Amino acid sequence: MKPIADKPLPTRLAFAALLAPSLLSACVTSQPLCDSPQTRNLDSAVAGVKQSLSGGCHAQFDRYYDDLLTIAEGDPKPENKRVFSEFLVWSADEGLLSRRQAEDYYNRYFNVKFMSLRSDYNNCSHTCPNKRKVLLDMERELSSKERGLLKVSLDSDGYYRADRLYQEVELVLEATCNACSASRQER
Amino acid sequence: MQATALPRSRPNARLLPSLLATAVLMSVAASVYANTPTIRLFPTTVVEDLRQTGNVARDMETGLQEVIGRLDQQRELYEQSKCDGAENDPGCQRLARQIGASYLDMLTIMEERLPDMEHTVNNTRISLERSLRNELGKKMTSWSLQETLVGKQAASATTAASPTLRGRSGMRLSERFKQYYQLVATSGSQGDQSLAVLASDIYLDMEETSLLIQRTRQEIARATLMEQLNQSFGIITPEMMEVVGGVKSILFGDEESRALVAGPPPGSVEQAYRSPLEQ
Repeated sequence: MKPIADKPLPTRLAFAALLAPSLLSACVTSQPLCDSPQTRNLDSAVAGVKQSLSGGCHAQFDRYYDDLLTIAEGDPKPENKRVFSEFLVWSADEGLLSRRQAEDYYNRYFNVKFMSLRSDYNNCSHTCPNKRKVLLDMERELSSKERGLLKVSLDSDGYYRADRLYQEVELVLEATCNACSASRQER
Repeated sequence: MQATALPRSRPNARLLPSLLATAVLMSVAASVYANTPTIRLFPTTVVEDLRQTGNVARDMETGLQEVIGRLDQQRELYEQSKCDGAENDPGCQRLARQIGASYLDMLTIMEERLPDMEHTVNNTRISLERSLRNELGKKMTSWSLQETLVGKQAASATTAASPTLRGRSGMRLSERFKQYYQLVATSGSQGDQSLAVLASDIYLDMEETSLLIQRTRQEIARATLMEQLNQSFGIITPEMMEVVGGVKSILFGDEESRALVAGPPPGSVEQAYRSPLEQ
């Protein structure tokens, strides 16, 4: 039998036309759907999300995380913290997230401390010149904590401690930054 | 009259009890944390500056208390004599001149005492400024500052022993210092986190006090001149009574301005779980 390349052009075109739809349909059927979880049960939703993420939907991680938070808000309880922690540890173990990303996802929502305050440089040189942005980021993070700590985990103590920490940081930064800038004015 | 800008926005005087209380609490704080590695926000110079400011404030308070008491009595007599609306009556004019003279006395006392007050407040402010800049500004990152504020027991999210942040307005300085004292005296195990807030709060107060004294000094000369002119006519101006009211609220407190800060709702959920991802 002659190879297809040796056949006349019309024959080759006809062959390609026959093959193209089957190739296209093969692509379509292998594309993951990446649907949001339909269940309202957090454990089942997490299992479904894990399956989707492993099946090629990892680019949708943010959306899935948000979906899981929404589902958890429907049944808030302290144990939800553990569910999210285990889900994030699994995501890091599977290589979907770096360890640092997993920590950020967890701490932003479920810890009192503010990840927006991560910095390697001293306050006078780095935090003070960016004070407004730092406080704005903290304010946004406080909204995430309201969701994670208060609405998902019923940890009102934790949330109000975070809220107070925000106010304390605001006060201490105001004083510290005034002191830093006074030093610059003296020079 | 611009002197009305003096008092209401931020109560700052009656510094004596507040500053003395602060001096005491600094000593308490210093002894509590003497054996632990700690940030040095309150060196002895700050305590000494506060004590000095307290002494100056006491002198000013004593002098003003007497003259303000006299002003109150004169004002009462003026009202009882139904002088409002009868300003042309010779008796009322005499009373008005007496009130004006007392008002001038008050301005004179303030003029005499304020330079000392300004000097000592500025010393305290500068000392605290240096401490804050070095200890929190240069030696700490925003993360380590947060860790200092949260303290060791962040994970348990306990708030029982933590100080209550009052908000930075609406409360008299002496009341606030009294609270500072109570907080430090009753929460010896807290460590640096409350001291950082305390130092910041006092420093910002001192900054505002300093500005207020500066503005007041600028206005006193003008207010004195105005009143000397008024004396010849025996007039009581509304601004005059406003200034007196303002000074009184600084010295003796203003209940209306006390800010009430709502506490968090009672949390009934246990937080035993700690994630391995937690920072």
